[in-house]
Amino acid sequence: MTAALRDRLAGYAFVGPFLLVYAAVLIVPLVMGIVISLHRADLFGRREWIGLDNYAQALGDPVLHQAFGNTVLLAVLIVPPLTVIALLLALALNRPGKFAAVLRGVFFSSLVLSVTIVTLIWRFILTPDAGLIAEGLEAAGRAPIPFLSDPDLVIPAIAVTTLWWSLGFPVMLILAGLQQVPGDIYEAAALDGAGRWTVLRRITLPAIRRTLLLVVMLQTAAQLQLFGQAQLLTGGGPGGASRTIVLYIFEVSFGRWELGYATAIAELLFGMIIALTLLQYWLVTRHEEPRA
Amino acid sequence: MIGRALAFGFAGLLAGCAPADDRPEIVVQRFFGECGAAYGESTDVAAADTECGILTTLINRFEAENPDIRVKVNVVAWPGYPQLAAQIAAGDPPDLVTMHQSVISDYAGAGLIEPVEPLLAAARIDPAAFTPAARAGVEKEGRLYAMPWDTIGRLWHINTALMAEAGLMRGGKPVLPNSPEELLAHARQFRERTSKPYLIQAQVSAPDFHVALLYTYLLAQDAVIFPDARHIRLDTPQARAIVTVLRQLNAEGLTTLNQDFPAATAAFIQGEGGIFPVGTWMLGPYDAEAARSNSPLHGNYAVAPFPRLWGEEASFVDGHAWIVPAARRSPAERAAMARFLGFLAKYNYDWSRTGQLPAFAQVVESPAFRALPHRADIAALARTGKQLPGYVERQSAVQGLIGEELEAAITGAKPVDTALKDAERRVNRLYAQMM
Repeated sequence: MTAALRDRLAGYAFVGPFLLVYAAVLIVPLVMGIVISLHRADLFGRREWIGLDNYAQALGDPVLHQAFGNTVLLAVLIVPPLTVIALLLALALNRPGKFAAVLRGVFFSSLVLSVTIVTLIWRFILTPDAGLIAEGLEAAGRAPIPFLSDPDLVIPAIAVTTLWWSLGFPVMLILAGLQQVPGDIYEAAALDGAGRWTVLRRITLPAIRRTLLLVVMLQTAAQLQLFGQAQLLTGGGPGGASRTIVLYIFEVSFGRWELGYATAIAELLFGMIIALTLLQYWLVTRHEEPRA
Repeated sequence: MIGRALAFGFAGLLAGCAPADDRPEIVVQRFFGECGAAYGESTDVAAADTECGILTTLINRFEAENPDIRVKVNVVAWPGYPQLAAQIAAGDPPDLVTMHQSVISDYAGAGLIEPVEPLLAAARIDPAAFTPAARAGVEKEGRLYAMPWDTIGRLWHINTALMAEAGLMRGGKPVLPNSPEELLAHARQFRERTSKPYLIQAQVSAPDFHVALLYTYLLAQDAVIFPDARHIRLDTPQARAIVTVLRQLNAEGLTTLNQDFPAATAAFIQGEGGIFPVGTWMLGPYDAEAARSNSPLHGNYAVAPFPRLWGEEASFVDGHAWIVPAARRSPAERAAMARFLGFLAKYNYDWSRTGQLPAFAQVVESPAFRALPHRADIAALARTGKQLPGYVERQSAVQGLIGEELEAAITGAKPVDTALKDAERRVNRLYAQMM
């Protein structure tokens, strides 16, 4: 056995266990999901082959269309503001000192709360009956706003809830990115007399470009799978105005036991997330030099 | 240090060598909430209150009285059916599970739960002792698929002080409408005299709320809602008339808007409206509230079945029941399950203190039940309550679909005709997809 072959086998031995687990918990269920989506199937193992009927049904399903629109709108309302706010906070907190450390902890703290707690907190804020905002408005002589039952307001309400909850992780990622930027570049810029705006535009943002891309990709994938906030705050209502795709998958699979159809929708969502993520990656990296 | 660590390790090993517990184990899965902090050690059933408190205490007492049986309790978030479906799909179902009677058809039709006649016989429970409504709820195609535990229906919970202010009390009793026109007239009079809405309604995240009203008044007219197991009929003049009145109540501001169940429940206690049409399960808590001297509801609480607005007196009812998922079990486990069911049946009166109607006719007729506050006013529900036909499956999902369309119709987002047509189409599509 040559040394090269031995090295290669050792490499496989190291990654082998991971690949086995990865295949068992991800690849196999993915393939099984595709197979199930081609059947009329229930939760209890009954299957009837129907080919692509579930996909055809999904394309003509007005409830899914509404859920798709809601989900995309939520992602649009959440991902760009989340990235910008997280960037601004990270820039503000990227300094030594106890106060900045405490604030970093404060902004990260919402992330450790479960979705149940987060929605409970925001229900207390948003509900028109004795909610925090309603009390403030009533004190000012204004009528309460039905954030959770007005079809035009539920999506923004869920978006704000999610922004508050999700801020911590992107802030930490961007902070980590900022701390990778070598300090001597900033020193050189200072010697050249570059202003703060120029430093941000010419040095900081290009240096953390890949971190920002990571934040956008992760958040897009996460928000397209938004579920708990919609289920617990509004149940998808009123009239489906806040139903997301994953909430619809949950209803179809566990409420209606239509596992085949639910799986077909899940596969479509999976394809959509993959396509969007690759598109984002390509848009950001297409002008970059290939890495050696 | 090393010696201490070894000693701990050895002690751990010894603990692991404890003799096996060979008592039969039954896994009881229930909803009704978690209240271990208040009732975790309680065994005094008569002193317990609320659905969660009474059931937790009952299970504690059963364990105390039956040390030869090991009881494992899973408390699931209401209603717990997604978990149950997943457990059954995984081949690891619990032994006894709380289930709404309207859901039993789904599981019975697919052979996922067992008929319980043998267990009832072993527990010496005579099915003839069930009330007609309770029996109808658990009997599917001639077989009993559960032990009924209660009958739940919707009631009008009434603030009598506000009704008096509105001039809607006579002889100490609330004056309730007898027709849709009278309902609107009463509601307008109430609004005019009290400046408050006549009805308090949970219209947010509560799809079943309006569906119960619609079913009630369709059943009262003997309308055939489900002509067969695969179709619903909602695009009818009767349904349009009912939904139009509900829409009118909203449009004129004769009901609260934008409230979910917690908000509506609190609004009734605070005296923010006249009548809250909600379930029997709120009878106990509201009665306790009315007994508190500093409550706005103090001494001003009455309750009545839904008034007759169309057709005859009838009410759409459901009920809770104990079902047994199909699985292989030893004779000892089955004997333990029978003993548990027999124990629960013995305490059906205590359960009825929650406000639900008893599942056993003898308890409904008992002086103790009749002596509970307001029960004489609502006992007729056990007789007049109507369920959907036993062949109707996916009732929970169907309620969700209809509720969503009703919400759109009642809030004015969709014309009534369109919403009912859409509801019919969506439900029929669901049935067409069913295996």
